[in-house]
Amino acid sequence: MQREATIREPLILGHKTYKDITDDVVGPIMGPAPLGWKIMITISSLIAVYGVGCILYLLGTGIGTWGLNKTVDWAWDITNFVWWVGIGHAGTLISAVLLLFRQKWRMAINRSAEAMTIFAVIMAAIFPGIHMGRIWVSYWVLPLPNQFGSLWVNFNSPLLWDVFAISTYFSVSLVFWYIGLIPDFATIRDRMTKPLPKKIYSILAFGWSGRAKNWTRFEEVSLVLAGIATPLVFSVHSIVSMDFATSVIPGWHTTIFPPYFVSGAVFSGFAMVLTLLLIMRKAMNLENYIHVKHVEYMNIVIIVTGSIVGVAYLTELFISWYSGVEYESYAFINRFSGPYSWAYWMMMSCNVISPQLFWFKKIRRSLIATFALSIVVNIGMWFERYVIIVTSLHRDYLPSSWGEFHATNIDIGIFIGTIGIFLTLFLAYARFFPVLALNELKTILKSSGESYKNEQAK
Amino acid sequence: MANNKRYWTGLDDLHQTEAFRDFQSQEFPQHKSLDESLSNESLTTANTGRRDFLKFMGFSLAAATLAACETPVVKSIPYTNKPADVTPGVANHYASTFYNGYDYCNVFVKTREGRPIFINNNRKTGVGHANARVNSSVLGLYDSARLLGPRLNGTETTWESIDQYVAAGLKGSGRKVFLTNTILSPSFQRTIQRFCEANGAEHVMVDAISHGALRLAAKKHSGKNVFPSYEFKEATMVASVGADFLGTWGDSAYYEDEWVKTRLPELENMSRLHVFESVMSLTGTNSDHRTMVKPSEQGKVLVAMHELLSQGTQKQFSTGPLAAAIEKAVSDLKKAGRKSLVVSGVNDVEAQLLVADMNRLLGAEGTTVEYRSNQLFQGDDRAFNTLVKDMNEGKVGALLMFDVNPAYNALDKEAFRKGLSNVNTTVYMGGFADETGSRCEALAPTPHWLESWNDLSIDGERVDLVQPTIQPLFKTRPAGESLMAWSQFESDWYTEIRRTFKSDYTSDQMYSDVQWSSCLHDGYYMAKGTKASPVVNPARDRKALQQAKETLLAVKSDSQFELDLYVKMCIGAGEQAGNPMLQETPDPVTKVTWDNYVTMARTDMEAMGLNTYIAQRDKASVVKVTANGKSIELPAFMQPGQAPGTVGIALGYGRGDGGEAIGRAAFQTEENGEYVMTDEGLPMPIGGNVYGFAQMVNDVPRYAAYNVSIEPTGEEYPLAATQIHNTVMDRGSVVKETTLSAFKRESDKPKGLASWNRNHTLTVHEDVNGDGVIDASDDKKTSAFDMWKSHPVEGVGHRWGMTVDLSTCTGCSACVTACHIENNVPVVGKDEVRRHRDMHWLRIDRYYASDWSQEKGEEEGVGVIASYTKMEDPSANPQTVHMPMMCQHCNHAPCETVCPVAATTHSNEGLNQMTYNRCIGTRYCANNCPYKVRRFNWFNYQGYSKFQHSNPAQDSLTRMVLNPDVTVRARGVIEKCSMCIQMIQSSKLEAKKQGVPLTDDMVSCACSDACPTNAISFGDLNDEKSVVSKRSKNNRSYHALEEIGVQPNIFYMTKVRNVDESQA
Repeated sequence: MQREATIREPLILGHKTYKDITDDVVGPIMGPAPLGWKIMITISSLIAVYGVGCILYLLGTGIGTWGLNKTVDWAWDITNFVWWVGIGHAGTLISAVLLLFRQKWRMAINRSAEAMTIFAVIMAAIFPGIHMGRIWVSYWVLPLPNQFGSLWVNFNSPLLWDVFAISTYFSVSLVFWYIGLIPDFATIRDRMTKPLPKKIYSILAFGWSGRAKNWTRFEEVSLVLAGIATPLVFSVHSIVSMDFATSVIPGWHTTIFPPYFVSGAVFSGFAMVLTLLLIMRKAMNLENYIHVKHVEYMNIVIIVTGSIVGVAYLTELFISWYSGVEYESYAFINRFSGPYSWAYWMMMSCNVISPQLFWFKKIRRSLIATFALSIVVNIGMWFERYVIIVTSLHRDYLPSSWGEFHATNIDIGIFIGTIGIFLTLFLAYARFFPVLALNELKTILKSSGESYKNEQAK
Repeated sequence: MANNKRYWTGLDDLHQTEAFRDFQSQEFPQHKSLDESLSNESLTTANTGRRDFLKFMGFSLAAATLAACETPVVKSIPYTNKPADVTPGVANHYASTFYNGYDYCNVFVKTREGRPIFINNNRKTGVGHANARVNSSVLGLYDSARLLGPRLNGTETTWESIDQYVAAGLKGSGRKVFLTNTILSPSFQRTIQRFCEANGAEHVMVDAISHGALRLAAKKHSGKNVFPSYEFKEATMVASVGADFLGTWGDSAYYEDEWVKTRLPELENMSRLHVFESVMSLTGTNSDHRTMVKPSEQGKVLVAMHELLSQGTQKQFSTGPLAAAIEKAVSDLKKAGRKSLVVSGVNDVEAQLLVADMNRLLGAEGTTVEYRSNQLFQGDDRAFNTLVKDMNEGKVGALLMFDVNPAYNALDKEAFRKGLSNVNTTVYMGGFADETGSRCEALAPTPHWLESWNDLSIDGERVDLVQPTIQPLFKTRPAGESLMAWSQFESDWYTEIRRTFKSDYTSDQMYSDVQWSSCLHDGYYMAKGTKASPVVNPARDRKALQQAKETLLAVKSDSQFELDLYVKMCIGAGEQAGNPMLQETPDPVTKVTWDNYVTMARTDMEAMGLNTYIAQRDKASVVKVTANGKSIELPAFMQPGQAPGTVGIALGYGRGDGGEAIGRAAFQTEENGEYVMTDEGLPMPIGGNVYGFAQMVNDVPRYAAYNVSIEPTGEEYPLAATQIHNTVMDRGSVVKETTLSAFKRESDKPKGLASWNRNHTLTVHEDVNGDGVIDASDDKKTSAFDMWKSHPVEGVGHRWGMTVDLSTCTGCSACVTACHIENNVPVVGKDEVRRHRDMHWLRIDRYYASDWSQEKGEEEGVGVIASYTKMEDPSANPQTVHMPMMCQHCNHAPCETVCPVAATTHSNEGLNQMTYNRCIGTRYCANNCPYKVRRFNWFNYQGYSKFQHSNPAQDSLTRMVLNPDVTVRARGVIEKCSMCIQMIQSSKLEAKKQGVPLTDDMVSCACSDACPTNAISFGDLNDEKSVVSKRSKNNRSYHALEEIGVQPNIFYMTKVRNVDESQA
């Protein structure tokens, strides 16, 4: 039973009853698709189709259709990969870490955040796949018993750790998300009148009967999975950062990377959650469930992680000078004063300066400002990866090999395309899935005491 | 019951209808005959139903498709009788000689299964070294644009009809001229003489790039019409005024390694080189003192030098750096005395007369220069001009040409072209229907030099042999044989060559055969004639000298700009414009590929507002250069070391202006690989032809123009350079260099302790030497810090390694092309190079010195960031260093750890190996390579249409040049230098077969083999006696980027410049 101080803002506004919650969440699924949704999914799936077309062209013609070259062998591909993986982090953090910390406010957002995680990780997984020169032998990164002789994968390679980290992360997130969905699917099943959807939802609901035994096991599994998922929040992006940290390239070879990457990931993830939810609450009339209080909490996370990231940037600069290593110090001087300094200052202003606006209560409680800044943060975090990858590579040790990177239309098309695929998936999710953890939400709804509480407040 | 049983054939039968009974009663049913049926009206008007039509069409389509689906059958036919010398998988080598009128050197030709695939140096019995132009010429053999057989008036014909045509033509009136390049073959000379006598013809020689002034001056100077023989290895002091003798001037294939023999700092007397030039040449980049002078000043510099030598003072340049540089050069020359040498590339008789006199004054005649019997560059520009005049006046009845291309490279090519149309009988003997060939009526194709016999001699004493290494691919006939046919002389070319040989040796056939075989094996024989004696110190013609000086001083140039026409290392005179490998090999100085441009000084470009930075998206500004009434539009390229007020344009470009078939790579391509088309619908030539900018002065062409105007056109044009950054950014562990005096001071210090090659150390917080204080003396060597488990390669078995001596590397790029050919490296074309996607496994990094450094910044109070920006700019006249860079085969290779599938691994012989089959193409290794030597296959270079005109592997004939020992890499995998593992492997097998331990002289790499100067050596570091192990222990050797601890197996050796520090 939840106890709460009366002066605290309630988590669910608007005198909702249990039935209201069910109606609010299941209603849109039962009803016909609204026009706005149809327009949005058409646009996003068109973008997705364009992206898939670009990917097919890439696979058919070769990696040369990107702007990569002998000096800069990774650019948008790995930038996009890290960006999408980073975005995914918020979902796991919200559902697992906040669950362990018993942060009840997470209940309004965790479902969508987790969905975002799943879709973002799928988008992320596209890039290591298609960036390979020979995608048709990509299964060689798996340690499969084979007939090639005594061939085995190279366990020294951070790229291989990535394979394990991402696949583990994806499967745990998926299971966690699905487990949470089961009681809600059951609710939809019970309400659904059309036979085919009813059939599908009943399969998805796994025979949930809502008995106390079901609920006990549900709680236990959630807790166990939260325990498993929590270290993953930290491990995945640490390992992704090791792709860079274990290399010899000045600007990559930095021990600060794991914590810096994890906080950056949470930072960008929360920004993306905000971007999506601020639209969703409006479009799906969820203002009473996701309200200013949630937004404010998330903005606080953004200030904290954004500041950590900012400190990391400054630490890098300091260490590059303090180390006295010629290449290291040049790499960082080149970052902020070289040909790609525009990207660096883009990153700095978006990631370090703009989130500081959230120190103002007015701004962090303003939905419009939050929406704008969440997009700014996402742009900034994309540039962070771009800066790390491209500016470090384009001028490394031998000046004879210094080069440039210029993105091609295919580079851009595939990135935009993944945004399209992501939005398509997310829109499909918003249409057919319970977008709030409705059964969990009911645990924080104090229907009996609510009117009393409100009266007390008067 | 059984009797009642009745079988009927149909319902008609059962019911016994009328029609059926009718039908049954006839033995032969009365159908209409075929004719009747066909003549039926209704049939012709009948509509075939839509359904029928669809059925038929469907069937035919399906049938056609099925028929086309048959799997192509590729038959490989084994030898029925194995040829004696051909063992599949085993290479044969033949000694031969390359000569194309421009380059001359002895070579070894490597053949596999009867196909010549590689041109190697002949180090055993040869003279001269194969430069990039020579070793790439093997591609020309397989050029699908070559003439397939004789042609008359544009149609294929037989040799008989060609012979009839020529015979008829030779009977006609007018001059009959046989026009060739310089002929060095005694057999051919005899054949030509016989031909001329038989037909009343004359022989005229003309060189693509004239060196005529040297010959004319030598005649005036010594009385002998010879080319001066320069012996650079005897010289300890060389002064060059505009002569790129290391790359493109004179007998450069011979001079280069001879000069480098004097350049080892360990020698008692390392030579010094002073260069005065306008354009930064390869020789200029290798000089110790380089001074920028305008083309019009070059003659004056020679006058000043001459005056200083003969009178002790000079009046031409009163003060300033130029006067100081001249004085320094002359005082150095005087000090070296007879071991000094002055050369000049100014093609001017007066200038060469002064050069000859200076060498005499120095006492160098007899040591570094001789006038004896050198037959190079016999081109007679005056005779050629008279010929063109006569052609235009209709005085020439027959013109036969061999291996010349005046329709391209004549100074007035239009006059030649017009004159040619006036000549009745025109015959062209050469490999291609090029600018000249396509304008001739009869084309008598000659075999490629790899298909033919020849004998060549520069000095009339040593006769070098050319032997065929493959059956002629097409219906070709050696020019000598054609001439014999046209002079009614019954013989064949081989017999003639044997006859020349026989006259020098025994006439007994049996002995002759034995001797011939052994001479052929060595690739040469010594002619048994009387040796010509050199002319030494002939009487001086003071009047002529005085006149020469006056003429040179009278040169006036009052325009803002002067133009120097120079020759590029790879493209040379332009003969091999269709060779994709040469087009893609970066120019050793500018690093630009596939293009011609105007080199300009930074100050001039900035004054005109032209782009000085050229990169992927930063295009070059196009300028219009006007001189001698001609003008051309070309992109401008910022060249450090270019004399301000001068511009340089390379000859040898603009081939195929009529879309002639001279090779697929000779034309500009679009981004999609299709040709760029001119307004006339012809493929656009690469660059512009600037032969016309040269002017005839005193019977020889002067490759410069003194009154030049330059105006920006406002257009832009992309240039593709493999290196866009010019300086080494003060990174001391990349290139190490010092001066000779600094080197001498510490020349006996052990490795790692001399100030010019100090070990990289790291500060530690412990008292290593136990003196009680922690200070700099406690610093540990970088190699002492090691978190890795070492590969057990030290002292175990072989450990392959390489040493590269930066002191002797001239940057000539012979190794680049050799590596390219040996390892089937794809040619990717200009657009890909522009995108920094060149595939060279071995590249030569060229760094210019900068005026700025962090130290200087600190002294002058300039900030670190500003200093870095300043360091990006090279000096106006920079010192240059060439650094060959290939996979360093690190013992602690960063690439090996990061590959997720272990596609790149360390061999137990110290090699970093790349397994193409296992590579999945993540490119992580390429990112993590500090030397950036890994190359990725961005496309399917063997099939993708973008590379149709550039990659030799896309041409079914040129593909024959691919080395069967090396895999052609698939799309999507990484490739890189393998240290020619296929060559190591075959050497190991050879040693095993012979049952002997592998010795140093048995192993080599394509690059170390090709290196004319032995700057690159390859061998077993574990073998105490090997050159590499000795060189790697030399105190000049170091690892590039030692401090990152990757422990390469490649050692570089500190560059030592013989700079005169007393005056510098």
